[in-house]
Amino acid sequence: MSRYIKFIFISIIFIVLQTTVANIISIRGISPDFLLIWIVLIAIRYGQIESTLFGFAIGLLYDLATGGVIGLSSLSKSVSGFMAGYFFNENKTEITLSTYRFLLIVLLTSLIHNLFYYLIYLQGSEINTFRSIVMIGGITALYTTTISLLPVFIFMRKYSFIR
Amino acid sequence: MQRILTLLIEFKEYFILTLLVLFSIILLTLNDNPQLKAIRSYTVATIGIIQNTLAMVPNIFELQRENEVLRKLNVTLLDEVSRLREAKLENTRLRELLGLKEKIKYKFVAADVIGKTLHLQRNTITLNVGRNNGVNVDMPVVSEQGIAGRIVAVSSNYSIAQLLLNKDFRTSVKIQRSRVDGILGWDGSDRLMIKNVSKKQDVKVGDAAITSEYSKIFPPDIKVGVVISVDENPVTLFKDILIEPSVDFTRLEQVFVITSTVDTQRVNLESKFMERKK
Repeated sequence: MSRYIKFIFISIIFIVLQTTVANIISIRGISPDFLLIWIVLIAIRYGQIESTLFGFAIGLLYDLATGGVIGLSSLSKSVSGFMAGYFFNENKTEITLSTYRFLLIVLLTSLIHNLFYYLIYLQGSEINTFRSIVMIGGITALYTTTISLLPVFIFMRKYSFIR
Repeated sequence: MQRILTLLIEFKEYFILTLLVLFSIILLTLNDNPQLKAIRSYTVATIGIIQNTLAMVPNIFELQRENEVLRKLNVTLLDEVSRLREAKLENTRLRELLGLKEKIKYKFVAADVIGKTLHLQRNTITLNVGRNNGVNVDMPVVSEQGIAGRIVAVSSNYSIAQLLLNKDFRTSVKIQRSRVDGILGWDGSDRLMIKNVSKKQDVKVGDAAITSEYSKIFPPDIKVGVVISVDENPVTLFKDILIEPSVDFTRLEQVFVITSTVDTQRVNLESKFMERKK
């Protein structure tokens, strides 16, 4: 139970970070998705069910807090939490978190997240969906992956005794 | 029954995902639901308090830069004020001559931007004014540079404004020089576009785009942006006009909410007319 309270508290901090710090470091409107990195972290450490449920809850809270379409982030983030959960392996958590594997998981999850997000978000608009997915979604995924180097370095130091 | 339960337990991950996806889809269809709006209002209030607290931490470098910009702006504005005074006197004389009505004065509510979500999937800002300050959904938000967006969610002390770079954003605009009308929308990047402008119309790179009288939300003659490219698409009858927004959304710190723009008489007349046409 205390673990979930901790998750909720950290999730709120990440939402505040997403609405403040992410804007400061945005490049031409492209910002990293801190929430997604947090969801992947949950997936790698605790498994698919936790990451799917928290993906949904974080997405919903983010939609409510930022004036977005309610249900859009909750859908795309629960799907990405589910996808990231496939990489959960209790015996390899430390290795996954402290190596390039984590970056690849973030990249893949982010690409899937943006694919879902734009496919639904741009429904009924005249904006080029393919271009948005490839250009904005792809670049956002790359930026998010770059930022996820930070937790990798932190875990590298933390788990250095293992290798 | 036992078999179904076993199946559910065996594939619980898929079952949970399916439930959450279904729930999200239901939420997507219920965006205008009053209960959901009330929940949003509470969330906006809670996050607003946190963002407001964080916004109190001053950014020294930003303040220094802002001070410099404001000094320069002050000099320019002083000069402009004196010229505008002259113009106003002349305008009053001419209006009296023509017997025109004085345009309605708008009421502005000043607001600080206490939170921003500026990425291309969602461009919104959180303001430290809400229902208690007379702010309501659909009110226009402007800065000294021009139109910034419109209010989409309000709580008692906070509100969220959707910026121009949004797929749901549309408003009537016109080219200031040639008075050509068009519909402003987002092009999917960090630019805006004007649609429905025929190839015969006169639009040039560098022309200013301003809000038009046709908009029910925005007051007329407020700057929207500058034309940066005009292409003649051979497939359509219209021009492809790209606009650079006049507002730098990344540096928005103070804005104004216009609380008195909707001309209810006009809106009622138009909606009655549309109903009759149906």
